[in-house]
Amino acid sequence: MTDTHTPPFSLVDICGLHKSFGATEVLKGIDLQVKRKEVVCIIGKSGSGKSTLLRCINGLETFERGSLSIDGQALQHNHREAMRELRQQVGMIFQSFNLFPHLSAGRNVMLAPTLVKGIPKEDAHARAQVLLERVGLGQLFDRMPEQLSGGQQQRVAIARALAMAPSVLLCDEITSALDPELVGEVLQVVEMLADEGMTLILVTHEMAFARKVSDRVVFMHQGLIHEAGTPDDIFNRPQTPELQQFLSALRD
Amino acid sequence: MIEFDFAVVLAEWPMLLRGLGLTVTLTAVSAVLGALLGTACAWARLHGGKGLKRTVGTYVEIVRNTPFIIQLFFIFFGLPSLGLRLSVEVACILAMVLNLGAYACEIVRAGLQTTPKGQLEAALSLALTPWQIFSRVVLPPALARVWPALVSQIIIVMLGSAVCGQISAEELSQAANLISSRTFRSFESYIVVALIYLLLAVGLRQLLFWFGPRFIFTSR
Amino acid sequence: MVEFSLWSIFSFLLGAMRWTVLLSLIAFVGGALVGMGLLMLRFTKLRGMSTAVAWYVQIFQGTPLLMQLFLVYFGLALLGMDTSPLVSAAICLTLYASAYLTEIWRGCVNAIPKGQWEASTSLALNFTQQMRYVILPQAGRVAIAPTVGFLVQIIKGTALASVIGFVELTKAGQMISNATYQPFLAYTFVGLMYFALCYPLSWWSQRLEKRRLA
Repeated sequence: MTDTHTPPFSLVDICGLHKSFGATEVLKGIDLQVKRKEVVCIIGKSGSGKSTLLRCINGLETFERGSLSIDGQALQHNHREAMRELRQQVGMIFQSFNLFPHLSAGRNVMLAPTLVKGIPKEDAHARAQVLLERVGLGQLFDRMPEQLSGGQQQRVAIARALAMAPSVLLCDEITSALDPELVGEVLQVVEMLADEGMTLILVTHEMAFARKVSDRVVFMHQGLIHEAGTPDDIFNRPQTPELQQFLSALRD
Repeated sequence: MIEFDFAVVLAEWPMLLRGLGLTVTLTAVSAVLGALLGTACAWARLHGGKGLKRTVGTYVEIVRNTPFIIQLFFIFFGLPSLGLRLSVEVACILAMVLNLGAYACEIVRAGLQTTPKGQLEAALSLALTPWQIFSRVVLPPALARVWPALVSQIIIVMLGSAVCGQISAEELSQAANLISSRTFRSFESYIVVALIYLLLAVGLRQLLFWFGPRFIFTSR
Repeated sequence: MVEFSLWSIFSFLLGAMRWTVLLSLIAFVGGALVGMGLLMLRFTKLRGMSTAVAWYVQIFQGTPLLMQLFLVYFGLALLGMDTSPLVSAAICLTLYASAYLTEIWRGCVNAIPKGQWEASTSLALNFTQQMRYVILPQAGRVAIAPTVGFLVQIIKGTALASVIGFVELTKAGQMISNATYQPFLAYTFVGLMYFALCYPLSWWSQRLEKRRLA
C-alpha cells in the first residue's frame, strides 16, 4: 500500500513531542512519521495518550516541547490563519460524531466548504450529495441528525470531513460509541478510503480491522511509542511484555 | 464640574448601621421561615391531596406573577380592611416570607423530583418511616442539588427588601431616603447604600455557601 | 370621599397598564440589543472585556432595582438633563435587563457541548463563523424559555418606577387606594391585572422549556 515512487517525505512529521496536563505529563517524547497514503493505527490502553496525540496533530491540544509538521509546514498554535490552513489539510472524525444538530445531514456536509472555501451553494450542494452517496447515504440528504442511527451519523461525519478534501484524516475511536451491529458499516467506509489512497491515522480498539487495513501499527504505553511495526509484527510477534499483556487481555 | 460630597453622607453612619441591621434581620428571619414554608409547599405539591395541590399551586402562581411591592402594599394597606392590622416590620416579614416561600417551593420541588429512585428503594428496604425517609434521605441531597438556586433567590429577596422603605420600615433603603433628604446629597446617599447592598449580597452568598454544606446537607 | 364605580376604577387602571406595557417593551427590546452587544464583547478575546462585562452584570444583579432607579434618576439630574420619570425608568430598566439577559444568554452558549466547538474548529471555521452558524443557532433555541421568563421579571420591575413618580399600574393603584379609601379593593385589582399580564408569559415559558426537554 505504500507507493515506492513517492519521495521519502513525511506528510505528518512528529519529533520529540511532549505534552502535559497541568502537572501530569501525558506525552513523553513522541517521534512519528506518517507517509502519504499510509494507514497508521494507534493502539494501547486508555490513558496511554493515544487520543491526546491525535488531538495534537490538528491543534485541538497544544504541546509544550517538540515539533509537529504537516506537509512540511510546522504547526503554529498562535497563528490563527495558519491553524485554519492546517485544518483544511487535516480532517478529524470524533467518537461522539459531533454533527451539528440544527442542520440536516447534507447541510452538515456543505457548511465548511461554503464558509471556508467560498464554494457557491449549488456546487457545495452537489458535492455534498456525491459525498453522501460515497458513504452510502445518498437518500438521506435532508434528514436531521436525530433521525439517523449512530452508524449513519458517523458516516455523515466522515462525509463532512471529506468535503474539505483533506490530505490526512484523523479518526479518534470512531466506532467506540456505536452499537456492535453498526460498527461494520463505518469500518467499511474507512476501508474504502484506505483503498483509495487516503492517509489515515486511526486510534482504535478494533484489532481485526487494524490488522486488515493498516500499513503500520503503533502501540502506545504510558505516553511513549512502545512498539511499532507492520500488523504482522505487532499482532503475531509482540516483542515487549507490555504489548504481550495488552494483546492477551484483549483475547479474553 | 460636578462636585461630590461623600463625607456628609458617611457622617450619618449610625443611621446606615441601624438600617443595615434591620435589613439583615428581615433577611435572616425571612430566609429561614421562607425556606421552611417553601419546603413544606414543595412536599405538598408532590405528595398532597388534590385540593392541597391546587391551593399551593395557586398561591405559588399568584406570588410569582405579581410584583413584590404590590404584595407588600396588599398586606400592609389592604389587610387592615379585613381587620388584620400589622406593624410595619411584621408586614415586611410576612410579605418576604410569602414571597420567598413561593419561589423556594418551586426550587425545592425540582430538587426533590430529581431524587434517584434507588435512594427511595434503599430507604424503604431499611424500614424507615416516611418522615425519616423525607427528612434524612431525600431532603438533604435535594437541598444540596438546588442550593445555588436557593441562595440566589434569598439574595433576590434581600435586595427586594429595599422596597420596604416605601411603607416606612427603617431599613437600609429608607436610611438612604432619609439621609438624602437631610443632606440634599441624593446621588451620594444612594451610591453609598447601593454599595452596602452589593457587599451584603456578596457576603451573604459566601456565608450561605459555607453554611449549607456544613449544617444542612450533612444529616445528623 | 368621592364614590367611584368599579368600572371607572378598572378603566383608570387599564389606562395606566398601557404605560406598564410600554415601559416593559422598551426595557425588553433595549435590554436585548445591549445584552447581545455585551455578549459579543464578552467573547472577543480583547483583554479585560470579559471581566468588565462580568462586573457590569454583578453590579446590576447585586444591588436593588430600586437603588438603581434612584441613581439613574438623580444621576441624570446631576448631568443637567431634564429627566422625566419615564425616561429615567426606561434607561434604568434597559440597563438592568441587558445585564440579566447577557448573563442568561452566556449560560446558554456555555451549555453547548464542547464537541460542537471541536467539530467546527476541525473544519477550519473561524470564530465568527462558528458563532454564527453552529453555536448561536443552537444557543438561541435553549435561550427562548428563560428569555421569555425574564420578560415577566421586567414587567414586575416596572412596578418600582412608581417610586420615582412614573404613573404606571402600581402608581395608579396607589392613587385609587388613596382616593377611595379602599386599599384592599385597589391592590386586589392591581394584583389581578399584573397577574393577567404575567401569567400567560410564565405559562408559555414553562411550556417552551418542557418542549425543549422532550
